[in-house]
Amino acid sequence: MSLQRAVIPPPLPALDAGRSFDQPTSMLVRGGDFLFVAGLTALDPKTGARVRGTTAGETDQILANLKQMLEAAGSSLDKVVKVNVLLHSMLEAPNMNEIFARYFADPPPARTVCGARLPDGVKVIIDCTALA
Amino acid sequence: MREVIAAPRPGLDLRHHYGHWQSPAIRAGGLIFCSGMLPIDPETGERMHGTLTSEAHVIFANLKLLLESAGSSLDRLVQVHALIYDSIEYDVLNRVYRQYVANGPPARTVWTAQSEAGFKIQIDALAAA
Repeated sequence: MSLQRAVIPPPLPALDAGRSFDQPTSMLVRGGDFLFVAGLTALDPKTGARVRGTTAGETDQILANLKQMLEAAGSSLDKVVKVNVLLHSMLEAPNMNEIFARYFADPPPARTVCGARLPDGVKVIIDCTALA
Repeated sequence: MREVIAAPRPGLDLRHHYGHWQSPAIRAGGLIFCSGMLPIDPETGERMHGTLTSEAHVIFANLKLLLESAGSSLDRLVQVHALIYDSIEYDVLNRVYRQYVANGPPARTVWTAQSEAGFKIQIDALAAA
C-alpha cells in the first residue's frame, strides 16, 4: 500500500520561495494524513521579495503567509501539530513567542525553538507539520 | 484529529511557567509530536542547569513521563533530534543517550544550536502513539 504524496503549490506565486530563489524545495508536500511545510522566511506575499525586519516583524509576516498557504491547501493553523522555529538569536525568543501566540488559537501546537545560523541575514525560519 | 497531551506533572507545563505558547505534545495521525524537551524539574518547573549529561538525564526522565502519560513510551520513539550547544560533546551525548534507547534506537539527527536559557541540550521527539 502506498500513501498519497502530492506537492501543493502556494496560493500566490510570490509565496513560492523555492521557485523565486531557485531553491530545490517545494513549499508544501502532502504525505499520508499530513502536510509538511518547508522552512519559511519572511516574504512579501505580493512581490515575493524578502521582508527584512525585526524578529517580531519577520515572525508576523511568516505566520500570515503560513496561514494563507495552509488554508489554500484545505488545512489551517488549528490543524498544525508541530512547529519548529529557528531564530538568529535565542535572546529574541520572547519577541517571537508574543507574535506566535496571536496566530495560534488555544490549544497551541507542539513547538521546538532554537537559535541557529540562518542564511542570507534572515532572522527567523519557521517550518511545520499539519494535519491535511 | 488533533489531541493535546497535557503536562503529566505540574513542572512540565512550560506554557504556565514560562509563557511559551505551545502544548507539551500533540497526538495526531497515530503519532505523538513532542515540544522541544528541556531539563526542567517536573514538579516545580525550575530550570535544571548542569552538565550535558545531567541535563540529558532530566530530559529523558521527563520525556518518559510525557510519553507514558500518552500511552506511548521511550521504546516507541520514531525520530529524535538532539540539539547540543557544542559538537565537542557529541561522544558525551552518545554515552547518556544510549542508556535510554536500548531496544532499537529511533532515527536520530544531532546538530549544534542554541537552546533557551543557555541549556546544553534540547531534545525534539516523535513517537508512535
